[in-house]
Amino acid sequence: MIPEIPELAPLTPEALAQIREIEYNFHVRAFGEEMARVNFMPQEVRMRYLYEIIDHAVAKGVNFDRPSTGVK
Amino acid sequence: MICQSELDRFYHGLITDVHARGGMCAITSGMACVQYRVAQSTKDCDLLCLKRDARSLLEVLQASSFGDSKCSYRGNLTAPLDERWLAGGWTSHFRWRHAEGEARLDVFGIAPRGTIPWERETNGLYAHRHTVAEMKRTKRSKDWPFATALGVQMLAEGDARGWLHIFDAEVLFDMAEKRECPDAIRQRRPMLQLAFNHDPRLRTALVVEIHFWHELDRIRMRIYEQAIRPYRASVTREHLRAECDLTVQHQARVRCAEQNLPINPLAAYGFENMLTEALDSVRDLGEKWLRLLPDVRENFEELLNDP
Repeated sequence: MIPEIPELAPLTPEALAQIREIEYNFHVRAFGEEMARVNFMPQEVRMRYLYEIIDHAVAKGVNFDRPSTGVK
Repeated sequence: MICQSELDRFYHGLITDVHARGGMCAITSGMACVQYRVAQSTKDCDLLCLKRDARSLLEVLQASSFGDSKCSYRGNLTAPLDERWLAGGWTSHFRWRHAEGEARLDVFGIAPRGTIPWERETNGLYAHRHTVAEMKRTKRSKDWPFATALGVQMLAEGDARGWLHIFDAEVLFDMAEKRECPDAIRQRRPMLQLAFNHDPRLRTALVVEIHFWHELDRIRMRIYEQAIRPYRASVTREHLRAECDLTVQHQARVRCAEQNLPINPLAAYGFENMLTEALDSVRDLGEKWLRLLPDVRENFEELLNDP
């Protein structure tokens, strides 16, 4: 049996802003400040930025097949 | 060098072509996470394809080229792109080898751990956040923050199922202050009650729950890896070169699969056996945590009940 999809009450702009803050803080903790900033950019700007940095990284020889382990 | 935007356009084109033929498919996993603003990059494209549209997708792949390279199957651990094996939970893997890089496509018929048929809810070229988040409950720790981030977005948009995808204690405590949780959702995930009770045991309960999902994924993968061995050996014996036409590769793989690849190894192994193994590993962490675990039957129902 497929479970029903319960809907929640609409949020006030203030409540939505509070949830966005929780979300942003989580992104900072989980992905780091820079990626949190990028994730919250307007989508078009964000995709342009991501394409730019990925292409730059590939041009500089970064291998995306290897897991990123941070700076050692 | 292949630009990332070029690669994305190529994948989008494949999906648009399948849609134009009346087929149904949707991008999921890493690329969907990039689209949903919770990830930045991914190395391949994971695609959900309706089982009955496997033929349409195969035709699109046969006709496709990336630069001057044609599509070929990738590796010997890949099932043929055929309705029968997609329905059994197998995946098919493809590549286009370009002189300056590679495009890679992984095809699923059934979303692993999906509680609803993924095709009921899609978002343009992409699978719904709910499906993507369920697929992210893997044995890899790195996948879990993506599920949490998607869950928060769903709650912000009024979709109560977001509560099922948050695996971070701080976020759960904070969200419990801001958002209501319907009974139907609390029943599906009993440990949510700890968040609403401000109970610090929530942190441990989350560790246990994630461990439980890790185990389920680990066991599932083991079952499939064992089941594919005879097929892998028979595909290896075929000595199929990557330069072979995709049709030739496909026919050979179907031949090998018909003889050596069980359709649904998880069904043959038995859901109850898998569940018992996963629960036993949680029991080692303490019996009291068992009652807080979700009922995962619904996450395997589509795979086990496929006609």
